[in-house]
Amino acid sequence: MSMGVHEIEDAALLFVFGYNGADSHPIVARRIVRAKQKGAKIICCDPRRIETARIADMHLQLKGGTNLLLVNALANVIIEEGLCDDDFIEKHSTGFEEFKEVIKKYTPEGVAERTEISAGEIRKAARMYAQSGRSMILYGMGVCQFGQAVDVVKGLANLAIMTGNFGRPAVGIGPVRGQNNVQGACDMGALPNVYPGYQSVTVPAIREKFEKAWGVKLSDQPGITLTNVPHHVLHEPDPKKRIHAYYIMGEDPAQSDPDLAEVRESLEKCDFVILQDIYMNKTGQYADVILPATGWCEHDAVYSCCDRGFQKARKLIEPTGDVKRDWEIIGLISKAMGRPMEYTNTVQIWNEVIDLCPGFMGATDEKLEKNACIQWPCRSKEEHDMGTVFLHKDGKFAHPDGKAKFAPSEWRPPQELENEEYPLSFSTVREVGHYSVRTMSGNCRTLRNLEDEPGWIQMNPEDCGELGLRHGELVKVRSKRGYCITRCLPTERVKKGATYMTYQWWIGACNELTIGNLDPISKTPEYKYCACRVEKIEDQAWAEKHVREEYEEIRANMGIQTKGGRAA
Amino acid sequence: MLCIGCRTCMIGCVVAHEGKHIFEVDPDGYDFHPKLKVIKTFNVSVPVQCKHCEAPACMAACKSDAIHIVNGTVIIRTEKCIGCKSCAEACPFGAIQMVTLGSARNADGAPRSVANKCDLCQDQPKGPACLRVCPTAALRLVKEEDLGQTLKNKRLATLGLALGAEAQKQAAIGA
Repeated sequence: MSMGVHEIEDAALLFVFGYNGADSHPIVARRIVRAKQKGAKIICCDPRRIETARIADMHLQLKGGTNLLLVNALANVIIEEGLCDDDFIEKHSTGFEEFKEVIKKYTPEGVAERTEISAGEIRKAARMYAQSGRSMILYGMGVCQFGQAVDVVKGLANLAIMTGNFGRPAVGIGPVRGQNNVQGACDMGALPNVYPGYQSVTVPAIREKFEKAWGVKLSDQPGITLTNVPHHVLHEPDPKKRIHAYYIMGEDPAQSDPDLAEVRESLEKCDFVILQDIYMNKTGQYADVILPATGWCEHDAVYSCCDRGFQKARKLIEPTGDVKRDWEIIGLISKAMGRPMEYTNTVQIWNEVIDLCPGFMGATDEKLEKNACIQWPCRSKEEHDMGTVFLHKDGKFAHPDGKAKFAPSEWRPPQELENEEYPLSFSTVREVGHYSVRTMSGNCRTLRNLEDEPGWIQMNPEDCGELGLRHGELVKVRSKRGYCITRCLPTERVKKGATYMTYQWWIGACNELTIGNLDPISKTPEYKYCACRVEKIEDQAWAEKHVREEYEEIRANMGIQTKGGRAA
Repeated sequence: MLCIGCRTCMIGCVVAHEGKHIFEVDPDGYDFHPKLKVIKTFNVSVPVQCKHCEAPACMAACKSDAIHIVNGTVIIRTEKCIGCKSCAEACPFGAIQMVTLGSARNADGAPRSVANKCDLCQDQPKGPACLRVCPTAALRLVKEEDLGQTLKNKRLATLGLALGAEAQKQAAIGA
């Protein structure tokens, strides 16, 4: 995020695009509610009537898969109606003329039919965004989980640049990251192309720095992204380039990745699979080795918040059972592989991190102890450097010329559209209470009391009527790639023709349906769009029994003591 | 407007009434019966719960003298409830739900069903749990004195509107 989370409250206008705070991050949603109480205007762009839409001044209920059409049309209005911050564009950006050329054809009238939003509404929203004085964009997976994702992020950044909404308090653009510490994973180099601190693996000087610090030889080639693993296990012809071993930490690809049938095949065919997690999960069923790790309250850690803020998390209880802290496990494996990695505490590790990462250099353990949070970049260990609340101060950007670059893109539709056989659109979403793949929250009893297997498919009541479906009835949801069983939830908050499921259920595993169409740059799959159909199950008694048995079966496979006393 | 539909209030309610032992017993070994329920419609997300009426329809409908007003709070005495559902039907807000108790049985061995609704956390020293756990502070306990002021304001507003309308009407006739 270019801003701090706390700044959300102070924006004059929040432009919330494909981001469902209330279900994904209730604590951030609280900031949105407070902004509203403090008088902020809210524009919500979402195909569903989400909680933010209820309190918004405008709800642009766009058709799924048309994000860039809408974003480009907003830019079109801002240009055509002379609402640009010409001074900011002139002094702090490049490429505006080329951008204007591309945007010219995205008129509100031209996109109205496809986006299902009237030209008048698009114009009104563009004016509100351009003229509020302090407009902040928040976006989420509704932008990122498409085959065309990075282009839309750039499109949103274009809006902020052209209206001068960068480099001041309570403006900017904010990807409210999907999970706790996903920002931290990226910060620490859990990306295939960078070392910790976003330092490229292909730059020789950087590689040499890390080689010297770690005393090992390092590759100069970017690695493989998570979503490309199945391809490199199943379809790589050269055995030397094929993936033979897969070490998975705190991730459940057999639940969270698209097209689960393919994921299962690749886990089965991969020669060696290691899973390191705090509870058993679906992927664990395919693992050759399981390394049990400690949970969040059993170890010291540093988390990065989505707004680049480092925060210390402290151990509350002593771990019990045969478990080790993640960093201990990694250290032991490294030692066994011939490179001793001997730390005795997390502060030692943190000191190594900041010494190797110029952008984090100043976030010393002392500062983290004293202050709740330090936002990077924080380059100096001196006490005066308390990090950076918002980026691009005074219009200075990270490009070599210090200017922001307009990045125009042409819209392309999602890969798999509705058709005769699969007439409904399908998107994965989240629900409050269950976190990510439920490895943790599925074990929390009161959350289980609120919602349990096999989850729900949200549908428009008219579609339910046509299929003769009632609330709570078990249905089969099918796509080209597979099917799952779940319960029907008729709700007016969903548009006709669209369906939504949360992705954490083991029985209602909606990633059986999703498509592995990846954004060419981020390699994020198109979780938010594919085609499906919903089938009525006549024999409900059979379906209920089937769901119960399946659940017992999965739990037994995972070694969970079940009610029926099945093998632990 | 403030509710984000997260249902933390429902969990807070159960934890307050059942006690912390629910985190220690078998996961299926306790009753999960929130005394309020979050309802979502197209435009509204809101917890529905007992309004603690002055002259409760539920109390009038109760055939077993199980519902009483104690300190301005309408209370169901579960031990006296015969599970006849009359109160649930009588309540104009749909704030009463029939629930089955896992721990208790009727004389015939069938699971015991009783009426369940908000008791404003009578036994909680810190007051209603839902208020304390709500992340957006969407819930507020309205006391009798607040209610008096609200009523007064509403009446004044209505009077103002009426007078305004009358003045307009007079002006229209005059014109």
